[in-house]
Amino acid sequence: MRKVGTPLMSKPRLTAPSRSIPLFVILLVTLAVHGPLLLMQLPSNSYDANTHMFFAGHYANHWFSPWNEKWFGGMSQTTYPPLVHQWIALFSHVFGLTGGYMFVQLIVILLLPVGMYRYALLWVPEREASYAALGTAFLGSLAMLVYQSGQLPTTAAAALTLNALPFFYSWTRDGSMLSLLKGVVISMAGAAAHHVTFLFGAVLFALPVLWLSLLDREESEQKSSSGAMLVRAVMFGIVVVASVVVVLLPYFVSLRQNPITQLPIPHGSRDNYILSPHSGMNFWIIPMGSLILAIPYILFKGSAERRLRPLLFGWYVTTLLGLGGTTPIGRLLLGRAYEVLTYERFTFWATLMALPFVGLLAARVIDRWARRGAVLLGVAAAFSCAMAVSWVVFNPINTGTLNLKPMIDFLNREEHSKYRYITLGFSNQFAKLSTYAKAGSLDGDYNSARLLPEMTTYGAAQLYNSKYFGTAGMEALRAVLKHADQYGLRYIFVHDRYYEPLLAFAGWRPTEVYDNGATELWTKDDVPPAKHIDFGNAVPPPWQGVMWGLVPIGASLLAILVVLLPDRRRYSETLEFPLPETNELPLREAN
Amino acid sequence: MFPLRRSLILGIVCATVLTCAAQVRVPATVQAGSGTTVQASGSGSTMLYLFGPGGALKREVQRGNIEISGQELKVAGRYTVIVDGDSASFFVTAAPLQKIAFVAHPSRVPAAASRAVQGSAFLFDGFQNLVLTPIPVTFRLAVEGDNGEERRTSSRDGVAWVQLNSGRRSGPAHFVVTSGAIQVRRIVQQVAADPCSIRMSALRAPDGNILVETAPVQDCSGNAVPDGTIVTFTSVDAAGRSAVDARIKRGIARAELPASRSATLSVAAGVVLGNEIHWGGGQ
Amino acid sequence: MNKLLPVLLIILAAALIAAATIHSSSLVPATTPEGAVRALLNQVKARDAVGAYQYVATASNTAPDDFKRDVFGQESNLRTYSSLQLFDTKVLREDDQEASVRANLEWASAVGAVRDTRDLKVVREDNSWKVIWPVQSRPKVPPQVIPVNYLRWDIVTRGLDDDWGAQNVDAPRVRIISMNPVEKDGDFILLGEIENEDTVPGFVSVAATLIGKDGQVIAQEESFDKISHVLLPKEISPFRIDFPNVSRDRIKSVHMQPNAMLVPASADPVMGVMHQALNKDARGHSVLKGELMNQSGQTVNIPHVLATFYDSAGKVIWVSDGYVDQSLAPMTPVAFSIGVRDDLASQIHSYRVTVNQYTRDRVQ
Repeated sequence: MRKVGTPLMSKPRLTAPSRSIPLFVILLVTLAVHGPLLLMQLPSNSYDANTHMFFAGHYANHWFSPWNEKWFGGMSQTTYPPLVHQWIALFSHVFGLTGGYMFVQLIVILLLPVGMYRYALLWVPEREASYAALGTAFLGSLAMLVYQSGQLPTTAAAALTLNALPFFYSWTRDGSMLSLLKGVVISMAGAAAHHVTFLFGAVLFALPVLWLSLLDREESEQKSSSGAMLVRAVMFGIVVVASVVVVLLPYFVSLRQNPITQLPIPHGSRDNYILSPHSGMNFWIIPMGSLILAIPYILFKGSAERRLRPLLFGWYVTTLLGLGGTTPIGRLLLGRAYEVLTYERFTFWATLMALPFVGLLAARVIDRWARRGAVLLGVAAAFSCAMAVSWVVFNPINTGTLNLKPMIDFLNREEHSKYRYITLGFSNQFAKLSTYAKAGSLDGDYNSARLLPEMTTYGAAQLYNSKYFGTAGMEALRAVLKHADQYGLRYIFVHDRYYEPLLAFAGWRPTEVYDNGATELWTKDDVPPAKHIDFGNAVPPPWQGVMWGLVPIGASLLAILVVLLPDRRRYSETLEFPLPETNELPLREAN
Repeated sequence: MFPLRRSLILGIVCATVLTCAAQVRVPATVQAGSGTTVQASGSGSTMLYLFGPGGALKREVQRGNIEISGQELKVAGRYTVIVDGDSASFFVTAAPLQKIAFVAHPSRVPAAASRAVQGSAFLFDGFQNLVLTPIPVTFRLAVEGDNGEERRTSSRDGVAWVQLNSGRRSGPAHFVVTSGAIQVRRIVQQVAADPCSIRMSALRAPDGNILVETAPVQDCSGNAVPDGTIVTFTSVDAAGRSAVDARIKRGIARAELPASRSATLSVAAGVVLGNEIHWGGGQ
Repeated sequence: MNKLLPVLLIILAAALIAAATIHSSSLVPATTPEGAVRALLNQVKARDAVGAYQYVATASNTAPDDFKRDVFGQESNLRTYSSLQLFDTKVLREDDQEASVRANLEWASAVGAVRDTRDLKVVREDNSWKVIWPVQSRPKVPPQVIPVNYLRWDIVTRGLDDDWGAQNVDAPRVRIISMNPVEKDGDFILLGEIENEDTVPGFVSVAATLIGKDGQVIAQEESFDKISHVLLPKEISPFRIDFPNVSRDRIKSVHMQPNAMLVPASADPVMGVMHQALNKDARGHSVLKGELMNQSGQTVNIPHVLATFYDSAGKVIWVSDGYVDQSLAPMTPVAFSIGVRDDLASQIHSYRVTVNQYTRDRVQ
């Protein structure tokens, strides 16, 4: 028996939960928290949800053709891992695109506590792990990612990563081939869901786990040497990287042919949160929520317990990275990648890493204050989640919802789809418009897929938000408008009068109004119909389309299959102990 | 290679069919929209096939006099009738003129411009068939109260066209094409041509500025140049050049130029220059 | 170790946060003339009018509201659509009490990047340096009624259910009345003028296609904002089409495409361009300066000045343009200045300035 830390708990009272919470109860609570919010389709107004639905919409209609002419005059969908989009595409045939998105997001949210439970078991006993798993349902960072950022792939990849880590631990410690298989296959699916999470998140999560397995080697039945364990870890890494290269081969081919050379694009998560308090609220205070109160405990508990130190260091580094520009650590560690990444996901990972500590803290609070403690924890958890959801609702990213239907109807009627269009001031509603419009746009909502030189030359993201990127944004817009004739750009929907002077001076005329004048259509009548833009080798060949349509989704199906394979032995088991007379409760670590 | 035996059988069958085929007689021409009768020898029912430019029909008929209605012969062109393997052709001609499609160009024309107005008349019957037979057509272009210009011509292959000089007077000119009782009217706006000469005068405003004003601006035919036309007044003095793009209003353009002791004032509309005034130094 | 480690981690985090956060306060009194200008511009960049005004010398005689209006705009003029993006400063002259600092400013504006150079006088006041920021006071126009009865052209076009032969209204006749290809800094540039010869307003643009010696298209560009798009009858606009990085010796021919459309339009506002003269700016570069005068009753929010320069033979040798960051109130002169190529200054025999405009509440 291995003991974690000093005895923590006082003798539990009957009214407080002193045993682990069953997983199905955790899942039901998670469903109760997030199910209604997803039924209300709250994420549909988030930053990226429409982008993911746009990608999914393409797969729903052209599963094996990743070339999509609706954005940027043409873009390859192989520039973004497809797994989540493909699942949405599949479910869209049942629930519609938005419903499919919500359903997949729900599955991901339900996968998170499962993964957390298994991950937390590596660090803390079963009861505390169950508290940690329950905590995921209430994470402010999760709510922000789901309801504000719409980062379904990130949450999916994080859930899969958490589920893969115990197998990584088991493989490095015991050399179990089945664990290797399961770990690798789940990692493949995780990378197919989101590459950035895989590249950065997996390392931040995996290194502490590797350190833990080295610490735990004495407990191993086979008593492996440190060297052997390191070799196994490297082997795991090599197999995973090789598998991921195969799964995402078209992505890497695309990246090699068209490396991301664009200038850095500003993002609030790179702000100094002290000097930019709004960014601080949005990217740190609200996502962390009540977990901020647990930071001292994490520091002291993580330092006190040798076995928890890897997790402490992992959490510490991830938290510092999540602070964006508030510390120089991100810039120092990540180099140029710092300007490409956004840091709300690091805070999400940091909160996930904090949860095993929080499980320990929760157990201690409950043991000491029983029902009052449980209520206190419940309030703190609900506060975290509620604050995040309210922040999203009361601090919306859009000032109002646009009625897109007349614009979609306009683009789809007569021969308007022969021309291209852009939107200005539409925010994330652009992606929704483009999902349902037949016409193609020169704008797009995924920066890495841009190929037009007019857009990659400047450090600006979407044209519809040009003004927020200062000179770079407006110069990019000017460059695109200058070549309207070449690209068949005839229609511009304007929802922000800031852009009117440029359009007026550049030779565009307002011709129609929508929503009582809230949106205007500006046209340039002498523009010829759009022609296919030659992007050379950026168009994926058919074999890549077939591979893209089969391998990533296949990896996820394989992951489901192998997870169903029974383990040779259980990861943990609960042993009943007679309660000692003292207030101290011995704990048994999961093995 | 086609086997000999099969060829023989086919030949016998064809000969039998031809022997049994009915004799079909049709008129040489039929006017569009009027029916006709096809005579097929023999008796009993058979199948009639009719192919024409407007479509094809298949109908079970009784041999003898077979009626084809005017509704089935609306489109002009060659038709072929087949009854019992025998075929005959006839031509459907256009019905009398019912409608003129008149394309007039341009919609605006400077006054007194040579061969500047074109009109093309397309002559149709009531079934949208071009009336190919030559028909007299008259074109007339005139501003109200003016004699205008008239040209008589004859249509050729259903089309008549003309090229006319625009009149000397500005205003909406009625461009009319007439053939028989059918008349179609278009409006061609005759507008003033470039200003013929621009004369301006200048006087001192109460605040010391220079008020410049043109005489009524007209083209060489005496038509007033339309309101809204840009007239540029320029003043050049020691302080530099000042210019105002004034709009003609009620035939006259006026503007206020900055005060000056001595300046050269000039006026222009487009590429047409007007007079020059030396302000302060006498005109 | 158990107690030391968390303390170390906390100290490390605090140090890292401090390293990224603590800078010298930008609102401390400026100790150098350049520091004063930089501090002021930093506050302008942060859109803090109050902070910026702290660096304005009292000798400027500029009220805080006037300063705010000058820097951040009013009446929907271009400055209200702008934010200071970049700047650099250089001390031109300095003594104990007074200095001159040149500030090169780049504004991000609704019409693209707008660059500006200001030579600022900096004086010592109360033991710190402050910037003289004079704001030109606007003459008060007496309350009055300005009758506006200019023309407006509306269009009734052929209905969808009309016969194909039915007449429509023709597009206005426009003509390119002069054109001159030039080469500058490796770019090929087409300059010229286009006239609306018709009696109705036209919405015009000029596009050009360069054909290479192999018969292939080298590049296609259009006049974009280097033209007045709405031309009233007999109005002439200059145009300029830039082909970046195209050498003249690669070109076999140029295909010009003037496009004109009939659009509803209004004949106002009338704008005079007064006291135009070629001068030198503070840096010694040639500029065309003058004043714009709005002779109608409605404020023009953003004026755009286009200047055509001719040689002694009357040939267009250059077209330059510039946006004016002040709005044009009725009957109120506003100064403008646009750059002229120094190498051409001696060849310029005459010039013509036209004014294009954007008025927020009037759409033509």
